[in-house]
Amino acid sequence: MSQTARIVPISSGISRPSQTSSEPLLRVEALTKTFDRKGTRVIALDKFDLNVDDGEFVAIVGPSGCGKSTFLHMLGGFESVDGGTMSLNGQRVSRPGPDRGMLFQEYALYPWRTVMGNVMWPLEVQNIPQKQRIEIADNFISLVGLTHFKNHYPNELSGGMKQRVALARLLALDPKILLMDEPFGALDAQNRELLQEELERIWDTSRKTVLFVTHDIDEAIYLADRIIVFTARPGRIKADIRIDLARPRAMEIKKSPAYTEYRNHIWDLLREEVLRAREEYAS
Amino acid sequence: MTDQTVNLEQAMPEAKTAFGDQRGIGVLVPLAILAGWEVCGPFGLLPRYIVAPSQIIATWWEMLSSGELIGHVGASMFRQSLGLLFGATCGTVVGVLAGMFGPIGRFYEPLVSLIYPVPKVAILPLIFAWFGLGDLSKIVVMTISIFFPTYIAAYHGAKSVNKIHLWTAQNVGASKARLIRQVVIPSALPDIFNGLRIGLALSFVLMVTTELVVSTRGLGYVIARAEENLRFDRMYAAILTIAILGFCADRLLLKVREYFLVGQLLSKDRGHG
Repeated sequence: MSQTARIVPISSGISRPSQTSSEPLLRVEALTKTFDRKGTRVIALDKFDLNVDDGEFVAIVGPSGCGKSTFLHMLGGFESVDGGTMSLNGQRVSRPGPDRGMLFQEYALYPWRTVMGNVMWPLEVQNIPQKQRIEIADNFISLVGLTHFKNHYPNELSGGMKQRVALARLLALDPKILLMDEPFGALDAQNRELLQEELERIWDTSRKTVLFVTHDIDEAIYLADRIIVFTARPGRIKADIRIDLARPRAMEIKKSPAYTEYRNHIWDLLREEVLRAREEYAS
Repeated sequence: MTDQTVNLEQAMPEAKTAFGDQRGIGVLVPLAILAGWEVCGPFGLLPRYIVAPSQIIATWWEMLSSGELIGHVGASMFRQSLGLLFGATCGTVVGVLAGMFGPIGRFYEPLVSLIYPVPKVAILPLIFAWFGLGDLSKIVVMTISIFFPTYIAAYHGAKSVNKIHLWTAQNVGASKARLIRQVVIPSALPDIFNGLRIGLALSFVLMVTTELVVSTRGLGYVIARAEENLRFDRMYAAILTIAILGFCADRLLLKVREYFLVGQLLSKDRGHG
């Protein structure tokens, strides 16, 4: 990716963190979610609270089945809420909306549209004039380094390239908060690292608020300002850890002692929960 | 819709090596039969109702050059194309709506199960009584018959839209109308084309069937008269014409499908041939 100089999001784009109000961008209070599984009530989220400030990159890690993805889907408005409230910029959210842009693990691109067509789609929906649409889409496609592939169809691209297109489309949507649900989970290790680097670079220039769900501790530490560790079901916050590593971050940061310390700490926390989750399944 | 379909030959290379890569092998058997058939003709080895291929071609050419065939083709294709148009349009539109909206689906699904297996030709006398013996009744029968396969295909296409694709559309803030137009229909399109292909074949079958029952023009009429007059060469010429028309229509449909499904067909099959 040689185009570091050309990061010029044109749309209303980049909102710098506003220091004026003390109100967090995202406020989640007593959020509860229950499932009905074969007659028994399963609590996925139990009175879950979370505040996220504007411009924060928050990663959520936890054992599988702890409700971290469910939380993201609820915040996106795709799953019903059984109790509690969520508000973005002081406004209650319940239904899907373009203020909360979602990046899914896979299959989110429309195979009948080209790369360009996919990235332009949110702009089309928002009735942005054609000329501007092309300009914005061109920009974000070049930002993720796929200019040469803009007329290709998703089925012609590799998994990593597809996810880059999805990221470009998400950025073109220009949401207030980016919700990423294990976006690199389906990629192989090398591609995952490349995309992590790229996301870090892009995020550094835009500083948009991100909620990033992952099961990969390294990914979380490398990318995030703050890591929320979920407990096993029912999902609650076990730990809320601030990651004080200087930005921009290079991959080499993973070799630093500070990084290793974070890693060991979070690994211990997670290990406890994973074991607890396993006990629960066994009983 | 699965994302990765593998061609059988790729999955089982040993199946391919059994006959080698000889492309001609598929044409060889029909050609041999045709040659045998032709050779039997002059020796009087064929029963009366089987005519040698050269004789069929000669009659066919005669009917074509006299302009007689064109008139019948026109009459038949007029009914066939209108029946297909109405039937496929209704089937696809209702199918997509039924797949999208629960109440519509719940209304139509049992009805389809009930009526689909009934051969529509069985109620032909009733339809003749209502709509007369002319073009209208034939178009009505075709419309009703073609409705079902196209409905079922569109229904399943619209029902099986990827959840993530729907979520992405809602996330972007797309209206219901846009969601149907730009997400549901494109995702259902591969299924819709499968339904259209069945509907197309059905339209040709019904075109001939209805004309055999009662008509004054059309390819079915030519077959019925030829049988009465024991002109089997004319009967085969009409059948040949139907086969050619059906073949061209099917190929055309596959081309249209390829055009519309360009992104979806990549790394997948491109129909048959």
